[in-house]
Amino acid sequence: MNQTTSARPSPPSSSPVLETAAAARGLSRTYGSGPTAVHALHEVDLDLPRGRFTAVMGRSGSGKSTLMHCLAGLDQPSAGTVTIAGTTITGLGDDDLTRFRRDHLGFVFQAFNLLPMLTARQNVLLPLELGGRRIDRDVRDRLDHVVEVLDLADRLDHRPGELSGGQQQRVAIARALVSEPDLVFADEPTGNLDSETSAEVLGLLRRGVHELGQTVVMVTHELEAAAHADDVVVLADGRVRQHLTAPDADTVVQALHGSALHGTALGAPVGGGAR
Amino acid sequence: MRTVLLASLRVHTRRYVAALLAVGLAVAFVVATDALSSAARSGLNAGVGAPYAGSDVVVGESYGMSIEDEERATQVARDAGGSTATIGRAWEQLTSEDGRQLDAETSIGTVSTDSAFRWQEVVAGRTPTRDDEALVDERAATSRSIEVGDTLTIGSGSDVLEVTVVGVAAPASYLSAPVYVPWDGLRQLPGAQPDVVLVAAGGPDADAEALTADLSSAVGTSVSPVAEFVDERRTQVNDGIDVVSYLVLVFAAVAAFVAVLVVANTFTILFAQRSRDLALLRAVGARRRQLLRAVRLEALLIGVLASTLGLVVGGLGGLGITAAVRAVAGPERIGDVAWSPGWWVAAFLGGVLVTVVASWWPTRSVVRISPLAALRPEEPTHARSAVGRRRIALGALVTALGAVPLGIGAATSHLWLAMLGCFATFVGVLVLGPVVMPAVIRLIGRVVGRSGAPARLAVDNAVRNPRRTAATTASLLVGVTLTATVLTVMATGRGAMEADMDREYPIDLVLSSTTSTAASDEVLEKVEGTQGVERAVGVPGTTADAGDLGAVAVLAPDASTTSATRDDGAALVVAGDEVLVPSDAEGLGDVGVPERLTLTGPAGVVELTTRLVPSRFGGAFVVAPATLERLTPEPEMQAVWALAEAGADADDLGGSLGLVAREGGLELTNQLDRRGWVDVQMDILVGAVVGLLGVAVLIALAGIGNTLGLSVLERGRENALVRALGLTRGQLRRSLGVEGLLMAAAAGLLGTALGIGYAWAGVRTVIDVAVPDATMIVPVGQLALVVLVAAVAGLLACVVPARRAGRTVPAEGLVAD
Repeated sequence: MNQTTSARPSPPSSSPVLETAAAARGLSRTYGSGPTAVHALHEVDLDLPRGRFTAVMGRSGSGKSTLMHCLAGLDQPSAGTVTIAGTTITGLGDDDLTRFRRDHLGFVFQAFNLLPMLTARQNVLLPLELGGRRIDRDVRDRLDHVVEVLDLADRLDHRPGELSGGQQQRVAIARALVSEPDLVFADEPTGNLDSETSAEVLGLLRRGVHELGQTVVMVTHELEAAAHADDVVVLADGRVRQHLTAPDADTVVQALHGSALHGTALGAPVGGGAR
Repeated sequence: MRTVLLASLRVHTRRYVAALLAVGLAVAFVVATDALSSAARSGLNAGVGAPYAGSDVVVGESYGMSIEDEERATQVARDAGGSTATIGRAWEQLTSEDGRQLDAETSIGTVSTDSAFRWQEVVAGRTPTRDDEALVDERAATSRSIEVGDTLTIGSGSDVLEVTVVGVAAPASYLSAPVYVPWDGLRQLPGAQPDVVLVAAGGPDADAEALTADLSSAVGTSVSPVAEFVDERRTQVNDGIDVVSYLVLVFAAVAAFVAVLVVANTFTILFAQRSRDLALLRAVGARRRQLLRAVRLEALLIGVLASTLGLVVGGLGGLGITAAVRAVAGPERIGDVAWSPGWWVAAFLGGVLVTVVASWWPTRSVVRISPLAALRPEEPTHARSAVGRRRIALGALVTALGAVPLGIGAATSHLWLAMLGCFATFVGVLVLGPVVMPAVIRLIGRVVGRSGAPARLAVDNAVRNPRRTAATTASLLVGVTLTATVLTVMATGRGAMEADMDREYPIDLVLSSTTSTAASDEVLEKVEGTQGVERAVGVPGTTADAGDLGAVAVLAPDASTTSATRDDGAALVVAGDEVLVPSDAEGLGDVGVPERLTLTGPAGVVELTTRLVPSRFGGAFVVAPATLERLTPEPEMQAVWALAEAGADADDLGGSLGLVAREGGLELTNQLDRRGWVDVQMDILVGAVVGLLGVAVLIALAGIGNTLGLSVLERGRENALVRALGLTRGQLRRSLGVEGLLMAAAAGLLGTALGIGYAWAGVRTVIDVAVPDATMIVPVGQLALVVLVAAVAGLLACVVPARRAGRTVPAEGLVAD
């Protein structure tokens, strides 16, 4: 509605050294009302630094998918604000929000990432086309570069049905990177893949951050996946339990164990729990 | 299994809306037809007996009798002490006292002066007692402003009957006419035709049998007791209504066929979407037969529900339509609705049967579902469905085989062969649908797709599943093809008829005199100034003596007069030594047409070869301008010919020009009304056929809406994905709109193309027999309208699915199952 592009000052950052790509303040999401209400997110404050690969972890039902949906403007929070690249997206109308997603965000989902009737190239260029952007030289150069990094050159004219799961995810990553978004959201990007392919996909996301200068936020429940990330945010019961910067594996396991104290299962992979 | 059946019916009923609508509409169509035909029947039947009520014996048959038989029958009956009345009819021009032409040609009925035979109910004035008194129908009196006391002139030329209106009759359902005149008056007109002679035996002790025997030996037509005769008439009337009902049922069959396509498609999609549920049932122990029985029972229940709804809607609709028609046509024609249980049962069973038959193939696919399917990870329900080579081969073969009888049928005017060919080729096209329809959609998509990403997405979505696309559009294709065929054949037929009319009646209106009265410039000016007259010309001529034929009017149309004819003067081409003799020239019957005719004019005598032509020039003879110069040095304006504007009302124009003619001492011959009559008939026919086919198109559109609705459900995740990637709500809705538009437009275009092709075959088969080498006329405007209506309706059909798709929040769609 009242989309303020740059006039609004950025919210205070908790980490003054790093620039903030996205910030949440008092973010709450409640489903239902009255005694049956479920608080998926409970007044979450979070700052995601630019140029970093952040993993959001937690047990099923900890609110990590809801957090991503709210951060990415796919769902409206019940309370609180989300600011991305200086724009407060909470409170934007649906069309403004859609345009914002199109121009500033990239997505990689667990499955159903690609439209089955479009070729890989068409899928990659879809967000640009939806925005009515001309496919000019810059875009083509960028596409060539991304395609080279992701090793997709000989797959561009195939349709998703003719690609393996890993290749499909690579196409999805290419789509997320080609428009140089402020923030790439990845929702369990390795959920449907074997461990070898997972490692490859995560490596590519990491390369996207370090070689192409992107910011990636990944929701996952897999410890191995989180190990590829720079930072790890651990969620529990809709609250941020810990925000770890460049943690080692032990610290992460410890944080997850802590979060598991409220339940019975440990922070081990739980099949399909994130959905 | 029953728990599963009931639960799935409860959950999926909304998805069956199109199936319910399609079957329900077809059933309602049949029931409404029953209502209307039964109402027409009860209305007409009530009136059939009335005209014959006063008689014991009826002489004559339904197609009339000869004047001689009529006279003999009357004589014999009267000699035997009985009384008689003749029912007859004439088609004549009707003119009011002040020269207003009321009708160029209308039916004149009979009224008996004997109250025992009089069936008309007099609502104002009194009954005619003399031969020159008349009754006027109440409706005719209102529409033509005739009042009691008016004098009417019946007929034209010298054989006219002048009558005084003495009373107004209530509208009748049977043997009705605007004006009723006693037979003894009517018979003075040369065109009067006796229908039957009603005979009442004289007194209670008279021997009716002997009278019947006497009459039978005296006349050359049948003699029957009144009860028998009335029964026969009643059967005729009912047969007539039955024929119309059965014709309407043909359209009901088309609607049912379209409903089969829609229902089959709906079930196919639903079972594809439910294959995981069904596989799960198999996995937990349902046998194939149990599953099959459950889904077929589901189809049966849907059929029963749809048919019941159809009966209710059709019943109420039928009553409504009957009431509306009664308000227009009058209560004497449309009586009370008498429901026939047979029709209801047939409609109900037909509806159930249509549903069960249509679901038969889709349900068979259910047994092929492997229990393993339940264990596989969730995939998009359909990848691209390939079109089998066998299907292409089969479709091509059927089309090619169908083209043979189509060609032969069209070439030899063999109707059944041509119809077989049309049907076979159409089936071939339907089989080829999965190849043809996506191709057409891609073609249109090339234009539409340029408008941006949403339209491009729509094109891709519309062709992603060729078999579904073909099945969805097949129903609309049927409706549009039939409509386009009918419209084109009708337009060509009308064109042929108009060309024929142009030849037959090249001049719309003729103001002339068979006597020596000439037209004046004043008359010409008045005609030119009359509203509805496009052009008027004065035709030079004179009066001449034609020997045995007496004094005749002679016209010599010059080059300027052809501008007022419809055939560019083709009928007026006359050689220098020739005279065109109108077939209705006075005295021709007594003298016969001489091979050569001597005309004596004011200045000279010429002998010419005669050529008999249909009456087109108001009874005048036609010669070449050079001939006229030899007859008279000073030609007069002998006639005024008027060409009517397009769309001018024949009766209005006849009325105003009748006044002009009378003031100038001339007579008006109105040939425009024949043209108008044909136009009206064609308009009614086209309107009725298109209206009836509209039901099929309506059903087809419900099918398109439904398919799109189901596709939207199926594509929930995809839609959420494109929304997440930046497609706005409006763009998504627009994309779905374009998808519906594309499908409907493709069916519209292909159907129109096919329709024109079939119309060509139809013209060669049917119209060529009557009018050889009729020019094909493609009603471009009407056909464009059909495509436009189909496209717009396709757009409307996806309003609901598009709104539903637009409402989904991206996050919801991404997690939804």
